[in-house]
Formats: sequence, structure tokens, C-alpha cells
Amino acid sequence: MMRPIFRVARATFHEAWRRRFLNGILIFAILIIGSSWVFAYLQPGAELQMIIDIGLGSIRFFGMLIAVFLGTRLIPDEIERRTVHTILAKPVSRAQFVFGKFLGGVATIAVNLVVMGIAFYIVFAIKAPQFAAAKPEDALIFAAMYSNIAKAIVLAFFEVWLVLGIAVVASTLFSWVLSVIVTFVIYFVGQMADFFQQLSDPERGASKLAQILLGTLYRVLPHFEIFDIREAILQGTYTPWSTLLQIIGQGLAYLVVILLIGYLVFNEREV
Amino acid sequence: MKSYKIIGWLAVLALLVAVQPLDRSVEYDRLVLGLQQPTPWFQIAARGSAGDTELAVTGVTGVIVGAALGGFREVAATMLWMKTHEYWHKGEALQAKALWLMRLVTLLDPHWLEPWRVTAWHLAYNLYVETDDPALRAKYLQMGVDCLKEGVSWNPDRYDLYLELGWTYFDKVEDFEEANKWFKAAMLYPHPEYVDRLVGHAYERMPDIPRSLDAYDYCLKRDPQDHTAKGATLTIRERYLIPWYLAEQGKYDEALAAINEYLLAKPNSSLGLHVKGAIAEQAGKLRLAYDTWKLAGDISQLDFLAQSKAVQLAHELGIETEDTAQYLYMQKVGKDLKVSMPGRDTMAR
Repeated sequence: MMRPIFRVARATFHEAWRRRFLNGILIFAILIIGSSWVFAYLQPGAELQMIIDIGLGSIRFFGMLIAVFLGTRLIPDEIERRTVHTILAKPVSRAQFVFGKFLGGVATIAVNLVVMGIAFYIVFAIKAPQFAAAKPEDALIFAAMYSNIAKAIVLAFFEVWLVLGIAVVASTLFSWVLSVIVTFVIYFVGQMADFFQQLSDPERGASKLAQILLGTLYRVLPHFEIFDIREAILQGTYTPWSTLLQIIGQGLAYLVVILLIGYLVFNEREV
Repeated sequence: MKSYKIIGWLAVLALLVAVQPLDRSVEYDRLVLGLQQPTPWFQIAARGSAGDTELAVTGVTGVIVGAALGGFREVAATMLWMKTHEYWHKGEALQAKALWLMRLVTLLDPHWLEPWRVTAWHLAYNLYVETDDPALRAKYLQMGVDCLKEGVSWNPDRYDLYLELGWTYFDKVEDFEEANKWFKAAMLYPHPEYVDRLVGHAYERMPDIPRSLDAYDYCLKRDPQDHTAKGATLTIRERYLIPWYLAEQGKYDEALAAINEYLLAKPNSSLGLHVKGAIAEQAGKLRLAYDTWKLAGDISQLDFLAQSKAVQLAHELGIETEDTAQYLYMQKVGKDLKVSMPGRDTMAR
């Protein structure tokens, strides 16, 4: 059962690296991360924070871009080239095909994020001690930062995979342009899920209809902001693994929901 | 509909329901551990819509929304911060907009200390001097102080804003009691050593001579080579300790004679006049106290404490006077300007 999935995933992974736009985004991301220490001088007294904000922000942002543009092309390309018929004619079910495509995308993104993460760690390891030395109080929280950054990158993996899942599902439903737009909208709206919760609060004067609509939106949408723990890193606060596991658990639950929807939709689609 | 589809969609619904308790647990952890963004977007949006200047709102939509969507909060704060400088230096017409943007920067990145410091400085210092209306000046002082207090609430583990707030009270409001409260708070965290001396300076100006000696004593115990603290201790002992000690004993005439002796040599000594004014007030010689504080306030335009005291005593004595910004501020916050000289045992000194 798993072998066809891995075959599809491996083929997807190899094919993804031939996509030039992916390489372009990765190179641009590394350039931004690499130059984050230059931007740091724009925030005197908070250079360390600026490096972290730009570095981790870039990993999340460019990871998301890769996920959107890769995810929305994975299945439509197979349909356009009609290779999907060949694949599905072999003993590969539609569920295995969708999941295999997704796993191939996951592997591609994982490699991209690892490369960006290494680039960030190099910049951080070189520049951060200088900035931390400039402000003694930064030196105190400096030690906690290394492990917190690793945790932030782990969370970025799950966040970006969730975006990839949405992109893959959107591409089974809509045209390429529309699926890109839909994925972006879900991502950005998901970033502000708290906002919907506040708007649906009756104490803030939300009507019954608004409570139902916005409350449902809040419960259905993935909460992307939970994957962002930069605030804790900037403050040098320890983030326990138990919390991280809960966040990852929530992300995985949404991922299962998204892939299940993708399977249900793709199973009915004429290809 | 095929049965697998029904089961599939039911599974989707079941999973979405099942994830809700986990969501609540994650939200709780994020709140308790401080993982949430410092200022929720709805609060920033609320401030954006309350903006009364077109330019400020343009700044919000362009940069802040972009940052909100992209997740580069600090970068957006930095970009807006640079814009604030541009507006501020273009002159008076754009200063309100600059301040509006500065406030947004503090909302976007409340752990960045510089915007709190500079925004409060613009309010309590720069806007203050651009008006002659004492009520408006008092309002700017209050705004500056409130801005720093909010900054402190965001950054309670760093000395910087405690010091900044203490300094604003020390230098601009001249509420030395309040200044010391914040200087002492700054001393609880890693801080430069001049902060310790500021406590002594504030007590000296208040004046509270025994406490200023205690503060300098602390500085000298920490660093016996602290020349500033050493010099201040010698000066206080030589000039003000005896008059103060006599006043504490209730020997006001002798105390006044002692301080007058020093003032004969240095008639414009601000601290000497402060000590004399405090003693006269304690002795119930309100007219003398008024004249002394008035003189000190006239000698130095920046002696806001003397000016406030003179206004307060003028009101008590029925003398016509103009309220100063600092006096109005003190009235507004319900601060008592009366000198208190509790009977402390200063004999040991």
C-alpha cells in the first residue's frame, strides 16, 4: 500500500527540483536571511531581535511561497500533461496519488527549509554574539535563543506543510490562478484567526449572525499564528516541548482534515 | 451519495470538532507563556480607524497590513519608525502625524525600547516647549509619563524605561519622590552605576538630606572610588546637614541662620535655597518659604520644583500668581507638594 505512495513522492521530489522558480525563491530567501544583520542596524538597541525577526520571518514567508507555488502545480501539471492517466492506470489509487504528491512536496519543502535554517543559524552564530555583547541584558537571554530558534524552525515545517496541503487541495478544485489566490487568502486569514474570535465576541457587540459566521470561520480555519513563537524567542522565554507538541498536534489534525477533503474532492473529479 | 463520501465528510467534521479542545489548550499555553503577538491586530486596526490624519492611515494600510500578512512585524515597525523621523523633521505640521506613527510603532513592537523613549521625549520635552499654555504643557507631561509607564509595563525586566521614566520625573516634572521610585525600580535589574547616584541627587534636590546621604553611602560602599558620591557626601555634610539636623530638632531659627550663613557666600545656590525653603515651610514661616522658593525659581528657569512650590504657597498666602505646568500636573495627579521632615535620628551622622 505504501510503495506506490513513496514512488509518486520520489518522482514528485525529483521533478520539483527541476522547477526553476523554486530555486529562485530559495536563493532569494538565502540572500535576505544572509543580509538580515545589515537590517539589524536599523533598530539600534534591538539588533538581535531584528536578526531573529527577519531570519525566522523569511523562513516562514518564503517557505509559504514555495508551498503555495509548488502545491498548486503538483496535480494540475500531471493532469495537463495527461501523465495522471498513466499513473492512475497502474495499481495506484487516487488516494495514494494525492498523498504521494503531497509527501513529495513535503520532502521538497523540508529540504528548502533545512537550507534556509542552516543559512539563518550561520548568520546568527556569527553576528548574534556581537550584538549580545553590546547589550549585557541580551547576553542573559542569548543562551536560551539557540534551542528556541530550533523549535521555531520545527514549527515552521509544520506550518508550511499545512499550507502545502491547502494548496494541493485547492488545485484539485480550482484553476491554477484561483487556487493560488485561495491558498494565499486562507493563509493570511488564518494568520489573523484571533481577529475573528474577537469580532465574534458578543461582549464586543457582535450580532447573533456575526457570532455564528465568524465563530464558525474561527473554528474551521487553521490557526497559522500558533506556529509563530518569535515573541518567546525575542523575550528569551523558554517554550516547553509539551506546548510545541500540542501545536504540532493541532497542525497535524488540520493536515488530516485537509488531505481528507482533497481525497474526497479528487476522487470525484474527472481527469 | 456513496457511503465512503458520507463517512469521509463526517470524519472531516468529527476531526474539526475534536481539534477544538486542543485549540483551547494551545491558546491557553500561548497566553500564559507569552507566545502571542504583543498587540493583537484588532487593537492596531482599531487605532488605525481612529486616526484623524490621512497620511497616518496610509502608513497603516501600506506597511502594517503588509507586515500583518507577511509576518514581518519588527521590519514594519522599523520602516514606520524611519517614516516618523522624516515627518518629525519636516516641521510642526507633520509632528502630530509623526507622533501618531510613533504610537503605532510602539504597538507593533512594544519590546523595542527606542520608540517608547523617543515618543515620550517628544511629548514631555519637544511638544512641551512649543506651547506657552501651562495646561497644555501639563497635558504633554502627563502624556510623556503615561507613554513611558506603558513602555515599562511591556518591558518590566529591563532597567532602561524605568530609568527614562525616573529621569522624566527628575528633570521635567521635578517630582523627585516619584523619580526615585522609578530609579530604584531600575536598580533591581542590571544597570549602569550612575543610576545609583541619581537616587542621591533626587533626594538632595527634594530636599531630603539624610536620605541623600544614605544613597551616596550606598554608592560608596559599592565603589569606594566613586568620586561623585564622595564629593556629594562631603558637600552635603559641609553645607546642608547641620541646618537640616537643627530643623529636625525643631530649632528652626538656628537652622535658618545656619543655611543663611552658607547662602551669604553662595546666594544663588539652588540646593541651598531648596533647603532654606523646606526649613521655612516646616517652621510655618510661609511667607519666607514663598520668597525663598520664588527666588530659586526665578534664578533658574529650569527649577520647576521651586516654581511649583512658589505657586502652591502663593495660593495659600493669597498672592496672585500664574500656575505652572508642573504645578498643574501635580494637582491633576493629586500630588502633595508639602515638605515633610519626619523626626529621624541624624545624630549618628
